[in-house]
Amino acid sequence: MAGLAEPLDREPPLPSGPFSELARSQYKALASLRWSIFRHTLRTPRGALEAWTSVLAYVLYGCMGFGLAMAFGAGAYAMAANEKWSILPLLFWVVFIMWQVVPVTLASLQQQFDIAGLLRFPVGFGAFYLLHVIFGLVDVSTILGAFCCLGIWIGIMLVRPDMFAWVGLGLAVFAAFNILLVRAIAAWIDRWLAQRRTREIVGALFFLALMGLQLLNPAFRPQHSWRITPESRATSLRRLNTVNSIQRWLPPGLAAFEVQRSAGARPLPAIEAVSLLGVYVLAVGGVLSVRLRGEYRGENFGDAPSRKKVQPRARGWLIEGSGPLATVMEKELRVLLRAMPLIYGLAAPLLMVFVLSGLFLRHGAAPGHPMAMSLIISLGYAIVGFTQLFYNNLGPEGPGIQMLFLCPTPMRTVILGKNLFHAVLFFMDAVLVCVVTVLRVGWPVPAALAATAAWALFALPVHLAAGNLFSLNMPYRMNLGRMTRQRGSQASALLSMLVQIGVLGIGAGIFTLCSFFDRLWVATPVFLCLAGAATIAWMRVLDRIDEMASRRRESLIATLAKTE
Amino acid sequence: MEIAAIQTRGLTRRFGELTAVDDVTFSVAQGQFFGFLGPNGAGKSTTIKMLTGLLEPSAGSIEILGQRFTAASLDVKRQIGVVPEGMALFGRLTAPEYLRFVGRMYGLDRQTTNQRTDELLDFMQLANETRKLVTDFSHGMQKKLALAAAVIHGPKVLFLDEPFEGVDAIAAGMLKAMLQGMINRGATIFLTTHVLEIVERLCSHVAIISQGRLVANGSIEELREGVASSLPGSEAGQRLTLEEIFLSIVGAGGQEPAQELSWLA
Repeated sequence: MAGLAEPLDREPPLPSGPFSELARSQYKALASLRWSIFRHTLRTPRGALEAWTSVLAYVLYGCMGFGLAMAFGAGAYAMAANEKWSILPLLFWVVFIMWQVVPVTLASLQQQFDIAGLLRFPVGFGAFYLLHVIFGLVDVSTILGAFCCLGIWIGIMLVRPDMFAWVGLGLAVFAAFNILLVRAIAAWIDRWLAQRRTREIVGALFFLALMGLQLLNPAFRPQHSWRITPESRATSLRRLNTVNSIQRWLPPGLAAFEVQRSAGARPLPAIEAVSLLGVYVLAVGGVLSVRLRGEYRGENFGDAPSRKKVQPRARGWLIEGSGPLATVMEKELRVLLRAMPLIYGLAAPLLMVFVLSGLFLRHGAAPGHPMAMSLIISLGYAIVGFTQLFYNNLGPEGPGIQMLFLCPTPMRTVILGKNLFHAVLFFMDAVLVCVVTVLRVGWPVPAALAATAAWALFALPVHLAAGNLFSLNMPYRMNLGRMTRQRGSQASALLSMLVQIGVLGIGAGIFTLCSFFDRLWVATPVFLCLAGAATIAWMRVLDRIDEMASRRRESLIATLAKTE
Repeated sequence: MEIAAIQTRGLTRRFGELTAVDDVTFSVAQGQFFGFLGPNGAGKSTTIKMLTGLLEPSAGSIEILGQRFTAASLDVKRQIGVVPEGMALFGRLTAPEYLRFVGRMYGLDRQTTNQRTDELLDFMQLANETRKLVTDFSHGMQKKLALAAAVIHGPKVLFLDEPFEGVDAIAAGMLKAMLQGMINRGATIFLTTHVLEIVERLCSHVAIISQGRLVANGSIEELREGVASSLPGSEAGQRLTLEEIFLSIVGAGGQEPAQELSWLA
């Protein structure tokens, strides 16, 4: 026992900075792990499909980024060539908004690595922070944002090569700000969704924002023609000046200001602007650091067990009917109301419809006579919000998928219940989209309205049928408590997007053809015929659900119930 | 002749070249508390998944309460309850919502479902946690909820895969009493666990699976006698514990003892 009394040999503490030897070996190990995971995914056909679609997706993102770079480059070139530096902030604001909005919208489509799992290893906080930021660099938003910045840089360089360093510096600090901000927002949203109380507050604020959106509609609806008068020009200029003086102190404005001042060979204001932008970077880095430090310390937001005896409460609302269909629909509704990613997915396209529907105003036409296709395009876009509900309808079940196989209810009934619930949601959403679009741009002609309704009757069963097939064959587990760091499926996302584009393409094609021959009313019966065929296809898929589910049950359980 | 609660014949499951369960045949009489034991990777969970319709056998047949059982046997499913390996919970529901969902999916009417939900929540000491989402439950609370869901429809045969894992001693005692009560009222329980003391205390019959093959099957007393008779004279008279019986039958799988890890403190 003598050994027990002897003091333990203490090894000197290892340096734990983000660039220490330990941290560097951890980065190598992590890179090796990611490579091994990638190689192992190629072992199964599904994994290989996922890998190839990931490659394809990044090629597509690259192409999108290239297109955006060209557009932003052309814009920057034109501004620099014409010395129109005063409108440069517009470019920076568009890049900023895209950088911050895209990641949440595409969260489900990206495969993201959750570094919280690394905390069981001796990872220093600096390395943890750095890894968190580095893994964010492969986000779609960062790729697109980086391309946009590159485009702006090249565009200005072609006109003013002397501004090489100034523009590069401003854009680099601006990019760093966006990268840190997007990570900070994601980390804080996940934090708020982790606890019931904050989750309910965030949910309430979100719904209030949506309601506010409806109130904004009449305000934005044009009450008079768009003809520019000297009075309206003066008013607009006054407002623009006010906006400009405010935005100038915000990060996109500061980045643009730095470029403007360097173009005028005024280095001091440029240095001031870039320094202030640097302060923003430090601030947002600090906000992210506060959140990550909480994660690093191993915070746990699980509610503690209650010791108080609670009074029995009323059971709350229930959907009438004891049958399995009503049961499944009730469960789906309860889960949806607590699943912020799904609610956001449904609501975000509504926001975009509100923003983009202004494009449907026909210039020179009297107000209230929008483009005939305004509704169908808005509705087609709003369906994007249903991608996860339609195309991964078993994903939110998680381990509960086993219960669906254990209970004496055929899987056809379960899927039918889900489909009916999603159909009700779809029609509610369609009504909201119509309200938003009509309030924004006015009523389309009755024939266009009828054709849009008929197209919706065609689109819904197509998406339900295809969605059921995708859900059984390409499911992926969703974490409904998080907005970000989801394990999406690139294959499912890309293929479902193709179906959506196809359905919208058929609609737009028939619509355009009928409009061209001035026979828009023909579109309605054509869409109704297609709707009949699509409904038959959906019913045939439903009839095969039990057989398919039985064949796929092991894979479904393995995919959805795994706890990694 | 009484119909067996569970009867398997030549049950086999292959994953590629690996045969996880190999030609397993056994019978569990009605009213029996049956322990299904085996070392890690022996095929216990694979067997229970096949018995409950979560996994399709590669060969062989299963009968539950005299009826041939497949994944599509809805009438049979109505008579069995399962606590599977992953617990099969829906994280975004509260405990009462989950139990009501399960009760109604098993065909119970609303009034019965509500009444049983309240009773089960009280019994499982989860009545104070009715607003919390299942995802926020501790592992032990999730186990209790999974067990409550498995019995809400009053199954005649109950399959339990590691039901006591993570459950505190007080709750475990309560659950054991509940399971014993079910046995007394004629239910059949098929239990897999690594805690041999629980099996010894609760189960009347035991089967042991090793490397996919059934290597022992019978009452604990029969296994004890069988193992004791094979021991040398000086040890044959001792009363063996289930752990000793298990180790004697399964052994170390013919493996050499692990080398000592000299670098460990």
